Amino acid sequence: MAEQVIRVEGLKKSFGDHQVLRGIDFAANKGEVVCIIGSSGSGKSTLLRCINLLETPDEGKILYHGRDILTDERISMPQYHAKVGMVFQQFNLFGNMTALENCMTGQMKVLRRSRAQSMENAMKYLRKVGMEAYVGAKPRQLSGGQKQRVAIARALSMDPEVILFDEPTSALDPEMVGEVLSVMQNLAQEGLTMLVVTHEMGFARAVADHVVFMDQGVIAEEGAPDDVLGAPRHERLRSFLRSML
Amino acid sequence: MPTTFFGWVGFLLEQYGGLFLSGTGMTLLIALSGTAFGFLIGLLVAIVRTLDVPRGMGPIKRALRKAAHALIAVYIQIFRGTPMIVQAMVIYYGSMQYLGIDMDRTVAAILIISINTGAYMAEIIRGGIVSVDRGQFEAAHAIGMTHWQTMTTVVLPQAIRNILPSVGNELIVNIKDSSVLNVISVSELFFQAKSAAGTYYKYFEVFFIIACIYLALTVTVSRVLRYVEKRMDGPDNYVICGSQSDSRAEIVVNREQEEEVDRQWQSR
Repeated sequence: MAEQVIRVEGLKKSFGDHQVLRGIDFAANKGEVVCIIGSSGSGKSTLLRCINLLETPDEGKILYHGRDILTDERISMPQYHAKVGMVFQQFNLFGNMTALENCMTGQMKVLRRSRAQSMENAMKYLRKVGMEAYVGAKPRQLSGGQKQRVAIARALSMDPEVILFDEPTSALDPEMVGEVLSVMQNLAQEGLTMLVVTHEMGFARAVADHVVFMDQGVIAEEGAPDDVLGAPRHERLRSFLRSML
Repeated sequence: MPTTFFGWVGFLLEQYGGLFLSGTGMTLLIALSGTAFGFLIGLLVAIVRTLDVPRGMGPIKRALRKAAHALIAVYIQIFRGTPMIVQAMVIYYGSMQYLGIDMDRTVAAILIISINTGAYMAEIIRGGIVSVDRGQFEAAHAIGMTHWQTMTTVVLPQAIRNILPSVGNELIVNIKDSSVLNVISVSELFFQAKSAAGTYYKYFEVFFIIACIYLALTVTVSRVLRYVEKRMDGPDNYVICGSQSDSRAEIVVNREQEEEVDRQWQSR
Protein backbone atom coordinates (compact mmCIF):
# COMPACT_ATOMS: atom_id res chain seq x y z
CA MET A 1 0.00 0.00 0.00
CA ALA A 2 1.38 3.34 -1.04
CA GLU A 3 1.90 6.05 1.51
CA GLN A 4 -1.03 8.38 2.07
CA VAL A 5 -0.03 12.03 1.80
CA ILE A 6 -3.41 13.63 2.36
CA ARG A 7 -6.36 12.00 4.04
CA VAL A 8 -9.68 13.70 4.67
CA GLU A 9 -12.13 12.27 7.20
CA GLY A 10 -15.73 13.37 7.75
CA LEU A 11 -15.15 16.88 6.48
CA LYS A 12 -18.08 19.27 6.85
CA LYS A 13 -18.35 22.93 5.96
CA SER A 14 -21.25 25.36 5.87
CA PHE A 15 -21.52 28.93 4.71
CA GLY A 16 -24.37 30.35 6.75
CA ASP A 17 -27.33 27.98 6.41
CA HIS A 18 -25.96 26.37 3.30
CA GLN A 19 -24.05 23.16 3.93
CA VAL A 20 -21.51 22.89 1.13
CA LEU A 21 -19.59 19.82 2.34
CA ARG A 22 -21.64 17.12 4.05
CA GLY A 23 -19.08 14.62 5.22
CA ILE A 24 -16.21 13.96 2.83
CA ASP A 25 -13.82 11.01 3.17
CA PHE A 26 -11.05 10.42 0.74
CA ALA A 27 -7.29 10.00 0.45
CA ALA A 28 -4.50 10.76 -1.99
CA ASN A 29 -1.48 8.49 -2.16
CA LYS A 30 2.03 9.65 -2.88
CA GLY A 31 2.61 10.20 -6.58
CA GLU A 32 -1.05 9.91 -7.40
CA VAL A 33 -3.12 12.26 -9.55
CA VAL A 34 -6.64 12.64 -8.19
CA CYS A 35 -9.14 14.47 -10.37
CA ILE A 36 -12.22 15.86 -8.67
CA ILE A 37 -15.17 16.42 -10.98
CA GLY A 38 -18.74 17.54 -10.49
CA SER A 39 -21.12 20.32 -11.45
CA SER A 40 -20.65 23.78 -10.03
CA GLY A 41 -21.89 24.15 -6.49
CA SER A 42 -21.07 20.54 -5.66
CA GLY A 43 -18.34 21.61 -3.21
CA LYS A 44 -15.21 20.68 -5.21
CA SER A 45 -13.46 24.00 -4.79
CA THR A 46 -14.49 24.28 -1.15
CA LEU A 47 -12.95 20.87 -0.50
CA LEU A 48 -9.66 22.00 -2.02
CA ARG A 49 -9.76 25.29 -0.14
CA CYS A 50 -10.36 23.42 3.12
CA ILE A 51 -7.36 21.18 2.49
CA ASN A 52 -5.27 24.31 2.05
CA LEU A 53 -6.97 25.97 5.04
CA LEU A 54 -8.16 28.94 3.02
CA GLU A 55 -11.47 27.89 4.61
CA THR A 56 -11.70 26.50 8.11
CA PRO A 57 -13.70 23.26 8.19
CA ASP A 58 -16.57 23.01 10.68
CA GLU A 59 -16.04 19.33 11.41
CA GLY A 60 -13.76 16.50 10.43
CA LYS A 61 -10.06 15.86 10.07
CA ILE A 62 -7.46 16.69 7.45
CA LEU A 63 -4.48 14.40 7.89
CA TYR A 64 -1.11 15.17 6.37
CA HIS A 65 1.08 12.08 6.69
CA GLY A 66 -1.27 10.92 9.42
CA ARG A 67 -1.16 14.13 11.43
CA ASP A 68 -4.23 16.28 11.81
CA ILE A 69 -3.29 19.75 10.58
CA LEU A 70 -6.18 21.32 12.45
CA THR A 71 -5.09 20.19 15.88
CA ASP A 72 -1.56 18.78 15.76
CA GLU A 73 0.77 21.47 17.03
CA ARG A 74 3.87 19.78 15.60
CA ILE A 75 2.86 21.06 12.18
CA SER A 76 3.67 24.70 11.60
CA MET A 77 1.30 26.38 9.18
CA PRO A 78 3.93 28.05 6.97
CA GLN A 79 5.71 24.72 6.60
CA TYR A 80 2.48 22.93 5.76
CA HIS A 81 1.62 25.56 3.16
CA ALA A 82 5.07 25.23 1.66
CA LYS A 83 4.55 21.47 1.32
CA VAL A 84 1.05 21.75 -0.08
CA GLY A 85 1.02 24.20 -2.99
CA MET A 86 -1.97 25.69 -4.71
CA VAL A 87 -2.76 26.86 -8.23
CA PHE A 88 -5.85 29.05 -8.60
CA GLN A 89 -8.44 29.46 -11.31
CA GLN A 90 -7.71 33.19 -11.46
CA PHE A 91 -3.89 32.66 -11.34
CA ASN A 92 -3.48 35.22 -8.53
CA LEU A 93 0.05 36.11 -9.51
CA PHE A 94 1.41 38.92 -7.35
CA GLY A 95 0.67 41.99 -9.46
CA ASN A 96 3.56 44.04 -8.12
CA MET A 97 6.23 41.50 -9.05
CA THR A 98 7.77 40.12 -12.22
CA ALA A 99 7.38 36.46 -13.19
CA LEU A 100 10.75 35.68 -11.62
CA GLU A 101 10.02 37.58 -8.40
CA ASN A 102 6.69 35.76 -8.12
CA CYS A 103 8.62 32.50 -7.99
CA MET A 104 11.31 33.80 -5.62
CA THR A 105 9.43 35.64 -2.90
CA GLY A 106 7.93 32.60 -1.16
CA GLN A 107 11.25 30.79 -1.13
CA MET A 108 12.97 33.77 0.44
CA LYS A 109 10.26 34.76 2.93
CA VAL A 110 8.89 31.38 3.96
CA LEU A 111 11.72 28.91 3.34
CA ARG A 112 14.43 31.47 4.16
CA ARG A 113 16.48 30.53 1.14
CA SER A 114 19.16 32.87 -0.10
CA ARG A 115 18.46 35.15 -3.04
CA ALA A 116 20.85 33.28 -5.33
CA GLN A 117 19.44 29.89 -4.40
CA SER A 118 15.86 31.11 -4.81
CA MET A 119 16.65 32.55 -8.21
CA GLU A 120 18.33 29.36 -9.39
CA ASN A 121 15.38 27.26 -8.26
CA ALA A 122 12.84 29.68 -9.73
CA MET A 123 14.65 29.62 -13.08
CA LYS A 124 14.68 25.82 -13.03
CA TYR A 125 10.90 25.68 -12.77
CA LEU A 126 10.22 28.61 -15.09
CA ARG A 127 12.23 26.70 -17.68
CA LYS A 128 10.19 23.59 -16.95
CA VAL A 129 6.94 25.39 -17.74
CA GLY A 130 8.49 27.10 -20.76
CA MET A 131 8.35 30.62 -19.34
CA GLU A 132 12.06 31.31 -18.90
CA ALA A 133 11.98 33.94 -21.64
CA TYR A 134 9.48 36.03 -19.72
CA VAL A 135 11.23 36.33 -16.35
CA GLY A 136 11.13 40.13 -16.48
CA ALA A 137 7.48 40.46 -17.45
CA LYS A 138 4.80 41.65 -15.04
CA PRO A 139 1.59 39.59 -14.82
CA ARG A 140 -0.45 42.30 -16.60
CA GLN A 141 1.80 41.84 -19.64
CA LEU A 142 1.20 38.09 -19.92
CA SER A 143 -1.62 36.09 -21.48
CA GLY A 144 -3.84 33.86 -19.35
CA GLY A 145 -2.00 30.68 -20.30
CA GLN A 146 1.36 32.29 -19.61
CA LYS A 147 0.16 33.55 -16.24
CA GLN A 148 -1.08 30.11 -15.27
CA ARG A 149 2.24 28.53 -16.25
CA VAL A 150 4.08 31.09 -14.09
CA ALA A 151 1.64 30.32 -11.27
CA ILE A 152 2.50 26.62 -11.59
CA ALA A 153 6.21 27.48 -11.52
CA ARG A 154 5.59 29.58 -8.41
CA ALA A 155 3.95 26.62 -6.68
CA LEU A 156 6.75 24.27 -7.80
CA SER A 157 9.45 26.66 -6.59
CA MET A 158 8.48 25.89 -3.01
CA ASP A 159 9.39 22.24 -3.73
CA PRO A 160 6.02 21.00 -2.48
CA GLU A 161 4.92 17.43 -1.99
CA VAL A 162 1.40 18.03 -3.25
CA ILE A 163 -0.10 20.67 -5.50
CA LEU A 164 -3.79 21.48 -5.42
CA PHE A 165 -5.17 22.75 -8.72
CA ASP A 166 -8.46 24.63 -8.47
CA GLU A 167 -9.94 24.63 -11.99
CA PRO A 168 -6.63 25.74 -13.49
CA THR A 169 -7.92 26.06 -17.06
CA SER A 170 -11.45 27.36 -16.49
CA ALA A 171 -10.51 31.03 -16.86
CA LEU A 172 -8.42 30.48 -20.00
CA ASP A 173 -9.22 31.12 -23.63
CA PRO A 174 -9.74 27.76 -25.37
CA GLU A 175 -6.50 27.92 -27.34
CA MET A 176 -4.49 28.32 -24.14
CA VAL A 177 -5.92 25.35 -22.29
CA GLY A 178 -3.59 22.93 -24.05
CA GLU A 179 -0.34 24.58 -22.99
CA VAL A 180 -1.34 24.48 -19.31
CA LEU A 181 -2.65 20.89 -19.44
CA SER A 182 0.55 19.67 -21.09
CA VAL A 183 2.63 21.24 -18.31
CA MET A 184 0.42 19.48 -15.77
CA GLN A 185 0.69 16.19 -17.63
CA ASN A 186 4.49 16.42 -17.50
CA LEU A 187 4.36 17.02 -13.75
CA ALA A 188 2.11 13.99 -13.32
CA GLN A 189 4.57 11.82 -15.21
CA GLU A 190 7.37 13.00 -12.93
CA GLY A 191 5.45 11.65 -9.98
CA LEU A 192 4.16 14.81 -8.32
CA THR A 193 1.10 14.23 -6.15
CA MET A 194 -1.73 16.31 -7.55
CA LEU A 195 -5.31 17.04 -6.58
CA VAL A 196 -7.04 18.58 -9.58
CA VAL A 197 -10.50 20.08 -9.66
CA THR A 198 -11.27 20.18 -13.35
CA HIS A 199 -13.87 20.18 -16.08
CA GLU A 200 -11.39 18.73 -18.59
CA MET A 201 -12.67 15.16 -18.92
CA GLY A 202 -10.02 14.32 -21.51
CA PHE A 203 -7.31 15.28 -19.04
CA ALA A 204 -8.96 13.33 -16.23
CA ARG A 205 -9.22 10.22 -18.34
CA ALA A 206 -5.65 10.42 -19.65
CA VAL A 207 -3.78 11.54 -16.55
CA ALA A 208 -5.76 10.72 -13.40
CA ASP A 209 -5.04 7.65 -11.29
CA HIS A 210 -8.23 8.20 -9.38
CA VAL A 211 -11.38 10.15 -10.19
CA VAL A 212 -13.76 11.51 -7.58
CA PHE A 213 -17.26 12.64 -8.56
CA MET A 214 -18.81 15.06 -6.12
CA ASP A 215 -22.48 15.83 -5.97
CA GLN A 216 -24.28 18.09 -3.47
CA GLY A 217 -21.52 18.06 -0.91
CA VAL A 218 -20.74 14.35 -0.86
CA ILE A 219 -18.62 11.99 -2.91
CA ALA A 220 -21.16 10.20 -5.08
CA GLU A 221 -18.78 7.94 -6.94
CA GLU A 222 -15.05 7.34 -7.13
CA GLY A 223 -12.57 4.96 -8.63
CA ALA A 224 -10.30 4.40 -11.62
CA PRO A 225 -10.94 6.82 -14.50
CA ASP A 226 -12.06 4.10 -16.87
CA ASP A 227 -14.68 2.91 -14.40
CA VAL A 228 -15.98 6.30 -13.29
CA LEU A 229 -15.88 8.01 -16.67
CA GLY A 230 -16.35 4.90 -18.84
CA ALA A 231 -18.96 3.00 -16.90
CA PRO A 232 -20.72 5.41 -14.54
CA ARG A 233 -23.10 3.76 -12.11
CA HIS A 234 -25.06 6.77 -10.84
CA GLU A 235 -27.65 8.54 -12.92
CA ARG A 236 -26.40 11.97 -11.77
CA LEU A 237 -22.88 11.15 -12.93
CA ARG A 238 -24.22 9.91 -16.25
CA SER A 239 -26.19 13.11 -16.83
CA PHE A 240 -23.19 15.18 -15.70
CA LEU A 241 -20.93 13.41 -18.18
CA ARG A 242 -23.49 13.85 -20.94
CA SER A 243 -23.61 17.58 -20.25
CA MET A 244 -19.82 17.79 -20.54
CA LEU A 245 -19.80 16.53 -24.13
CA MET B 1 6.87 104.84 -3.33
CA PRO B 2 5.78 102.84 -6.40
CA THR B 3 2.60 103.94 -8.17
CA THR B 4 1.61 100.96 -10.33
CA PHE B 5 0.48 97.44 -9.36
CA PHE B 6 3.59 95.77 -10.77
CA GLY B 7 5.72 98.48 -9.22
CA TRP B 8 4.32 97.53 -5.84
CA VAL B 9 4.76 93.81 -6.52
CA GLY B 10 8.43 94.40 -7.36
CA PHE B 11 8.92 96.63 -4.34
CA LEU B 12 7.29 94.15 -1.95
CA LEU B 13 9.30 91.27 -3.37
CA GLU B 14 12.47 93.25 -2.79
CA GLN B 15 11.46 94.21 0.74
CA TYR B 16 9.93 90.94 1.88
CA GLY B 17 11.39 88.35 -0.51
CA GLY B 18 13.38 86.72 2.28
CA LEU B 19 10.35 86.63 4.55
CA PHE B 20 8.20 85.00 1.83
CA LEU B 21 10.95 82.51 1.13
CA SER B 22 11.27 81.48 4.78
CA GLY B 23 7.45 81.27 4.94
CA THR B 24 7.46 79.01 1.89
CA GLY B 25 10.10 76.84 3.54
CA MET B 26 8.03 76.56 6.70
CA THR B 27 4.85 75.74 4.75
CA LEU B 28 6.68 73.03 2.84
CA LEU B 29 8.23 71.64 6.02
CA ILE B 30 4.96 71.29 7.92
CA ALA B 31 2.98 70.11 4.88
CA LEU B 32 5.53 67.48 3.84
CA SER B 33 6.33 66.14 7.29
CA GLY B 34 2.68 66.36 8.34
CA THR B 35 1.66 64.30 5.31
CA ALA B 36 4.48 61.81 5.88
CA PHE B 37 3.66 61.27 9.57
CA GLY B 38 -0.03 61.28 8.74
CA PHE B 39 0.62 58.55 6.20
CA LEU B 40 2.43 56.43 8.82
CA ILE B 41 -0.39 56.93 11.32
CA GLY B 42 -2.92 56.01 8.64
CA LEU B 43 -0.93 52.93 7.65
CA LEU B 44 -0.73 51.65 11.20
CA VAL B 45 -4.42 52.32 11.83
CA ALA B 46 -5.44 50.69 8.55
CA ILE B 47 -3.39 47.54 9.23
CA VAL B 48 -4.89 47.21 12.71
CA ARG B 49 -8.34 47.65 11.19
CA THR B 50 -7.79 44.83 8.69
CA LEU B 51 -7.05 42.37 11.51
CA ASP B 52 -10.28 40.65 12.35
CA VAL B 53 -11.27 39.31 15.75
CA PRO B 54 -11.31 35.53 15.32
CA ARG B 55 -13.55 33.40 17.48
CA GLY B 56 -10.74 31.18 18.69
CA MET B 57 -8.82 34.05 20.25
CA GLY B 58 -8.14 34.36 23.99
CA PRO B 59 -10.50 36.70 25.88
CA ILE B 60 -7.85 39.28 26.83
CA LYS B 61 -6.43 39.55 23.32
CA ARG B 62 -9.95 39.71 21.97
CA ALA B 63 -10.90 42.54 24.31
CA LEU B 64 -7.71 44.44 23.44
CA ARG B 65 -8.36 44.17 19.74
CA LYS B 66 -11.96 45.25 20.12
CA ALA B 67 -10.85 48.23 22.24
CA ALA B 68 -8.29 49.18 19.58
CA HIS B 69 -10.96 49.08 16.89
CA ALA B 70 -13.30 51.24 18.98
CA LEU B 71 -10.53 53.74 19.76
CA ILE B 72 -9.66 54.04 16.08
CA ALA B 73 -13.28 54.67 15.14
CA VAL B 74 -13.49 57.50 17.68
CA TYR B 75 -10.18 59.00 16.49
CA ILE B 76 -11.28 59.06 12.85
CA GLN B 77 -14.69 60.44 13.72
CA ILE B 78 -13.32 63.30 15.83
CA PHE B 79 -10.54 64.42 13.51
CA ARG B 80 -12.55 64.16 10.33
CA GLY B 81 -15.58 65.72 11.99
CA THR B 82 -14.05 68.99 13.25
CA PRO B 83 -12.21 71.76 11.36
CA MET B 84 -8.42 71.68 11.53
CA ILE B 85 -8.37 75.35 12.57
CA VAL B 86 -10.41 74.42 15.65
CA GLN B 87 -8.24 71.37 16.37
CA ALA B 88 -5.20 73.65 16.27
CA MET B 89 -6.69 75.99 18.88
CA VAL B 90 -7.88 73.18 21.14
CA ILE B 91 -4.62 71.21 21.04
CA TYR B 92 -2.23 74.15 21.24
CA TYR B 93 -3.97 76.20 23.90
CA GLY B 94 -5.38 73.18 25.70
CA SER B 95 -1.98 71.63 26.22
CA MET B 96 -0.64 75.00 27.37
CA GLN B 97 -3.39 75.84 29.86
CA TYR B 98 -4.22 72.44 31.29
CA LEU B 99 -1.12 70.30 30.77
CA GLY B 100 1.41 73.08 31.21
CA ILE B 101 3.19 72.14 27.97
CA ASP B 102 4.44 75.13 26.01
CA MET B 103 4.86 73.45 22.66
CA ASP B 104 7.21 74.78 20.05
CA ARG B 105 4.89 76.28 17.43
CA THR B 106 6.47 74.40 14.56
CA VAL B 107 6.26 71.11 16.42
CA ALA B 108 2.65 71.85 17.31
CA ALA B 109 1.86 72.62 13.68
CA ILE B 110 3.41 69.37 12.44
CA LEU B 111 1.62 67.42 15.18
CA ILE B 112 -1.77 68.89 14.31
CA ILE B 113 -1.40 68.30 10.57
CA SER B 114 -0.13 64.75 11.19
CA ILE B 115 -3.01 63.74 13.42
CA ASN B 116 -5.55 65.36 11.13
CA THR B 117 -4.08 63.82 7.98
CA GLY B 118 -3.76 60.45 9.74
CA ALA B 119 -7.54 60.29 10.18
CA TYR B 120 -8.09 60.80 6.45
CA MET B 121 -5.20 58.55 5.44
CA ALA B 122 -6.54 55.70 7.57
CA GLU B 123 -9.65 55.61 5.42
CA ILE B 124 -7.74 56.11 2.16
CA ILE B 125 -5.31 53.29 2.95
CA ARG B 126 -8.06 50.97 4.15
CA GLY B 127 -9.76 51.59 0.82
CA GLY B 128 -6.50 50.78 -0.93
CA ILE B 129 -6.10 47.50 0.94
CA VAL B 130 -9.71 46.52 0.27
CA SER B 131 -9.21 47.28 -3.43
CA VAL B 132 -6.46 44.66 -3.71
CA ASP B 133 -7.99 41.46 -5.03
CA ARG B 134 -8.72 38.82 -2.37
CA GLY B 135 -6.87 36.32 -4.55
CA GLN B 136 -3.62 38.11 -3.75
CA PHE B 137 -4.08 37.43 -0.02
CA GLU B 138 -5.05 33.82 -0.74
CA ALA B 139 -2.08 33.20 -3.01
CA ALA B 140 0.27 34.63 -0.40
CA HIS B 141 -1.27 32.54 2.39
CA ALA B 142 -1.19 29.49 0.13
CA ILE B 143 2.60 29.68 -0.14
CA GLY B 144 2.90 30.04 3.60
CA MET B 145 3.33 33.77 4.15
CA THR B 146 2.22 35.20 7.49
CA HIS B 147 -0.30 38.05 7.66
CA TRP B 148 2.56 40.50 8.15
CA GLN B 149 4.59 39.15 5.21
CA THR B 150 1.50 39.16 3.00
CA MET B 151 0.83 42.77 3.89
CA THR B 152 4.35 44.09 3.47
CA THR B 153 5.43 42.19 0.35
CA VAL B 154 2.24 41.71 -1.63
CA VAL B 155 -0.71 43.80 -0.53
CA LEU B 156 0.67 47.15 0.63
CA PRO B 157 2.90 47.74 -2.41
CA GLN B 158 -0.15 47.34 -4.62
CA ALA B 159 -2.47 49.23 -2.28
CA ILE B 160 -0.06 52.15 -2.02
CA ARG B 161 0.36 52.34 -5.78
CA ASN B 162 -3.43 52.43 -6.12
CA ILE B 163 -3.91 55.19 -3.56
CA LEU B 164 -0.98 57.37 -4.64
CA PRO B 165 -3.27 59.87 -6.39
CA SER B 166 -5.28 60.28 -3.17
CA VAL B 167 -2.11 60.64 -1.10
CA GLY B 168 -0.96 63.34 -3.52
CA ASN B 169 -4.30 65.03 -3.01
CA GLU B 170 -3.74 65.06 0.74
CA LEU B 171 -0.30 66.62 0.29
CA ILE B 172 -1.72 69.38 -1.90
CA VAL B 173 -4.54 70.00 0.56
CA ASN B 174 -1.97 70.20 3.35
CA ILE B 175 0.19 72.71 1.48
CA LYS B 176 -2.84 74.97 1.18
CA ASP B 177 -4.58 74.24 4.47
CA SER B 178 -1.44 74.66 6.57
CA SER B 179 -2.33 78.35 6.16
CA VAL B 180 -4.99 77.97 8.86
CA LEU B 181 -2.20 77.31 11.35
CA ASN B 182 -1.49 81.03 11.34
CA VAL B 183 -3.98 81.06 14.24
CA ILE B 184 -1.27 79.59 16.45
CA SER B 185 1.29 82.02 14.94
CA VAL B 186 3.40 79.50 13.04
CA SER B 187 5.64 81.48 10.68
CA GLU B 188 4.30 79.78 7.54
CA LEU B 189 3.55 81.55 4.27
CA PHE B 190 0.15 83.00 5.10
CA PHE B 191 1.33 84.27 8.48
CA GLN B 192 4.34 86.01 6.92
CA ALA B 193 2.13 87.52 4.24
CA LYS B 194 -0.26 88.94 6.82
CA SER B 195 2.55 90.73 8.63
CA ALA B 196 4.05 92.00 5.36
CA ALA B 197 0.72 93.24 4.02
CA GLY B 198 -0.07 95.18 7.17
CA THR B 199 3.03 97.38 6.98
CA TYR B 200 2.11 99.24 3.75
CA TYR B 201 -1.54 98.28 3.79
CA LYS B 202 -1.07 96.47 0.45
CA TYR B 203 -3.22 93.35 0.91
CA PHE B 204 -4.03 92.71 -2.74
CA GLU B 205 -0.43 92.96 -3.98
CA VAL B 206 1.01 90.79 -1.20
CA PHE B 207 -1.64 88.12 -1.49
CA PHE B 208 -1.28 88.13 -5.26
CA ILE B 209 2.36 87.16 -4.75
CA ILE B 210 1.39 84.58 -2.13
CA ALA B 211 -1.22 83.03 -4.44
CA CYS B 212 1.46 82.64 -7.11
CA ILE B 213 3.77 80.93 -4.64
CA TYR B 214 1.06 78.49 -3.47
CA LEU B 215 0.20 77.71 -7.07
CA ALA B 216 3.84 77.11 -7.97
CA LEU B 217 4.18 74.73 -5.01
CA THR B 218 1.09 72.69 -5.82
CA VAL B 219 1.83 72.47 -9.54
CA THR B 220 5.37 71.26 -8.81
CA VAL B 221 4.13 68.68 -6.31
CA SER B 222 1.53 67.34 -8.77
CA ARG B 223 4.21 66.91 -11.42
CA VAL B 224 6.58 65.14 -9.07
CA LEU B 225 3.81 62.76 -7.98
CA ARG B 226 2.94 61.89 -11.57
CA TYR B 227 6.58 61.04 -12.12
CA VAL B 228 6.68 58.84 -9.00
CA GLU B 229 3.55 56.99 -10.18
CA LYS B 230 5.17 56.26 -13.52
CA ARG B 231 8.32 55.05 -11.82
CA MET B 232 6.33 52.69 -9.59
CA ASP B 233 4.55 51.21 -12.61
CA GLY B 234 7.89 50.18 -14.07
CA PRO B 235 8.64 50.03 -17.75
CA ASP B 236 5.86 49.28 -20.22
CA ASN B 237 8.03 46.87 -22.14
CA TYR B 238 9.94 43.79 -21.13
CA VAL B 239 12.75 41.79 -22.65
CA ILE B 240 12.26 38.31 -24.01
CA CYS B 241 15.48 36.56 -23.08
CA GLY B 242 17.05 34.52 -25.82
CA SER B 243 15.39 33.56 -29.07
CA GLN B 244 15.26 30.41 -31.09
CA SER B 245 17.95 31.47 -33.54
CA ASP B 246 20.37 33.22 -31.23
CA SER B 247 20.49 32.94 -27.48
CA ARG B 248 22.13 36.35 -27.24
CA ALA B 249 19.36 38.11 -29.14
CA GLU B 250 17.00 40.25 -27.15
CA ILE B 251 13.59 41.07 -28.49
CA VAL B 252 12.08 44.11 -26.85
CA VAL B 253 8.33 43.98 -26.71
CA ASN B 254 6.69 47.33 -26.36
CA ARG B 255 3.04 47.52 -25.38
CA GLU B 256 2.41 50.66 -27.41
CA GLN B 257 3.88 49.07 -30.50
CA GLU B 258 1.76 45.99 -29.96
CA GLU B 259 -1.36 48.07 -29.53
CA GLU B 260 -0.49 50.03 -32.67
CA VAL B 261 -0.16 46.79 -34.63
CA ASP B 262 -3.50 45.63 -33.23
CA ARG B 263 -5.16 48.85 -34.30
CA GLN B 264 -3.77 48.53 -37.80
CA TRP B 265 -5.03 44.98 -38.03
CA GLN B 266 -8.47 45.86 -36.82
CA SER B 267 -8.84 48.83 -39.16
CA ARG B 268 -8.37 46.61 -42.20
